[in-house]
Amino acid sequence: MERSPAFYTWVSILVVVIGLALYAILMSLIYSLEVFEFSIHVIWVTMVSNYVFLVVSSTGLCIVTSLGHVFGMQRYELIGRRGVFLAFITIIFGMISIGAHLGHPERAMIFNLLTPNFYSAMWWMGTLYTFYIVFIAIEYWLLARPELIERSDQAQGPLEIIYSHMAFRQLDHSRLGAVLKNHKLLQFVSAAALIAGLSAHNTLGALFGHVEARPLWHGSYYPVYFLLSASFCGYSWLLAVSIATYKIKKENIPEDYQSLIFEMAQVLALLLSIGLLFTAYKMGFGLFTPEKVKPIMLFLKGPFSQAFWLFEIAIGTVLPIPILMWAAKQKNIMGVLIASVMVLVGVYVMRYDFVVAAQVYPVIKNSLPSYLPTFMEVLFIGGVLGALFLTYVLGEKFLPLKEERHH
Amino acid sequence: MNKAAKKIGRRHFLKLLAGAYAYATLGSPGLAGAQITRYGKLADTTRCIGCKRCMSACKRWNKLEVERNELVSDRETDLSAQNWVVVNLRADAKNLTQRIYEHWACQHCIEPACAGVCPVKAITKLPMGNVVINEKKCIGCRYCYQACPYKVPRFDFEKRVTRKCHLCYDRIPLLNYMKPACVEACPVEALSFGYKHEMILEAKKRVYKTKNARYILGLKEAGGTDMLTILPTKPEDLGLIVAPKKVVNHNIDKLRVTGAGFMGASALAGFMYTYATLTRGKEKKNRDNSD
Ligand code: SF4
Ligand code: SF4
Repeated sequence: MERSPAFYTWVSILVVVIGLALYAILMSLIYSLEVFEFSIHVIWVTMVSNYVFLVVSSTGLCIVTSLGHVFGMQRYELIGRRGVFLAFITIIFGMISIGAHLGHPERAMIFNLLTPNFYSAMWWMGTLYTFYIVFIAIEYWLLARPELIERSDQAQGPLEIIYSHMAFRQLDHSRLGAVLKNHKLLQFVSAAALIAGLSAHNTLGALFGHVEARPLWHGSYYPVYFLLSASFCGYSWLLAVSIATYKIKKENIPEDYQSLIFEMAQVLALLLSIGLLFTAYKMGFGLFTPEKVKPIMLFLKGPFSQAFWLFEIAIGTVLPIPILMWAAKQKNIMGVLIASVMVLVGVYVMRYDFVVAAQVYPVIKNSLPSYLPTFMEVLFIGGVLGALFLTYVLGEKFLPLKEERHH
Repeated sequence: MNKAAKKIGRRHFLKLLAGAYAYATLGSPGLAGAQITRYGKLADTTRCIGCKRCMSACKRWNKLEVERNELVSDRETDLSAQNWVVVNLRADAKNLTQRIYEHWACQHCIEPACAGVCPVKAITKLPMGNVVINEKKCIGCRYCYQACPYKVPRFDFEKRVTRKCHLCYDRIPLLNYMKPACVEACPVEALSFGYKHEMILEAKKRVYKTKNARYILGLKEAGGTDMLTILPTKPEDLGLIVAPKKVVNHNIDKLRVTGAGFMGASALAGFMYTYATLTRGKEKKNRDNSD
């Protein structure tokens, strides 16, 4: 579809969506932050849930790609580049989303360094994710470098210069250049990214788990569950994006890639069933914990029940499991694609509920606070997701994202 | 003459000693509860007449915006970035004829949950008792609001920082120890301010003496707070938020939660390793096939 009218239509739609988001940010700067999350009772809303969704996805992608680069499963190296690139862009757009949520993101950078509070999970999260971003960026660069070198050999004129600069070809004959080619270095950087990612992710769960004043969040459940949900998010992203890319480009999926896809589909189904057990545990256990009963009931019967039963349980977990099993058996690629997109939709709704529903209790006034996103918020979120897809599309066009093969 | 001089000398020495003691205790937060130089605020709902003068005095001193009709008696007001103290009519759920005006603001917890979670240390518990947000430092993340058991710090969408009552930390050390603006404004002495231990004694005395006063809010709630409120009945009957009677967000609890997460992460890494080892055979077969 490259250079086809459809490609340009898509890109222009994405550009318009991003433009609207920029307009929303401008409004928030000119007027007040109230154009986004206006409620003073439910104060962490779409931006936060979007952030959580994206960074959880990023960690998940890092987990899945580490199977190849850290744990030595060579078949997973097929998805290495695409996975690590996705991990990088999801965390970046997650950070942009939380940046728009913060009142003063510029101060965050300064005072995180100057006056750290080691007792605050948020401080740890910010710091560890910074490390994670650096490691994951280096990891992608190391993965892409061989192909960048190849491309610069083949290209001529300005393209050659661009590619050789991107690959830092100046280093080619130095000692550092030799180190860069060493597979051990890649393994080391990937391990560092995985450790930083898991720790950062853990502090993200702890950020919610520490808050004793919010019964739904409090406890050690979420830090653990977040890891699990990161894993199935990572799998779904990789499956959905790589299949969709091949389908849209109308290319055939290589044999070994296909068998990897079906294996991943089975693992995803397994992870989803473990996730279902976790959810059952949370709900069941919550009903026997006095302070958690009310928030849990919001999900089972209250205003969040539709989102919970329909999206989180049915679309996000229960239905995809048989679809995945069936598709893996019948070798049906479309089935895998549909199921993984369903999981992503379910997880997105789940994040929103998780963030918003917890803030209902304790009630400050007599009535329960409720929340509906503002129009500007929707524009902003649409823009962030649009920019994410645009970056991926551009990356797919200009950067080495295709499978790597050891010859 | 000589004797008197000696006496003074000894007194001076004792004072110095007390100063050193205070200095030593201020340095260690664990002993914060035992300081004798800490202040406290006492609100007596059995005396309050709901005139809302404390609200307007607070707004004047802290240059906060006044909304139309906000200071009219009996109008329900909520804490906000412009309302650091509020006075609301509350009825006892068990006895509807029992109605009080409740003066509500930050409770200035002895071990504040808000300060514990702020990522950039924008919130400090001062040695004199006040819990103060540094608005020049706040990054506007609103984590303090989530962590506060009473949901006090409110976000200011214009200034993009979180704001709340600071117990007039900028008045207390001034001019012969001025009281907080709200306390000074109260016409019926429903609010008092002084050394914390004196306030506790006073509150207990009133509960003992006054028929209506039955409960002191803040002795145990959230691990103890430097603002005390005398209530005619339990806070839950009045529809107030009930805080647990222990320190909220204790560091040990935080460690427990984080530790569980790290155990989970290690388990995950273990599973990944197992997955890799178990399927190694398959990998080989694939490679042999492709060779
Ligand atoms: S009442 Fe809330 S805002 Fe005030 S000191 Fe305690 S935790 Fe902080
Ligand atoms: S909103 Fe401000 S004061 Fe509150 S935790 Fe965040 S940085 Fe600290």
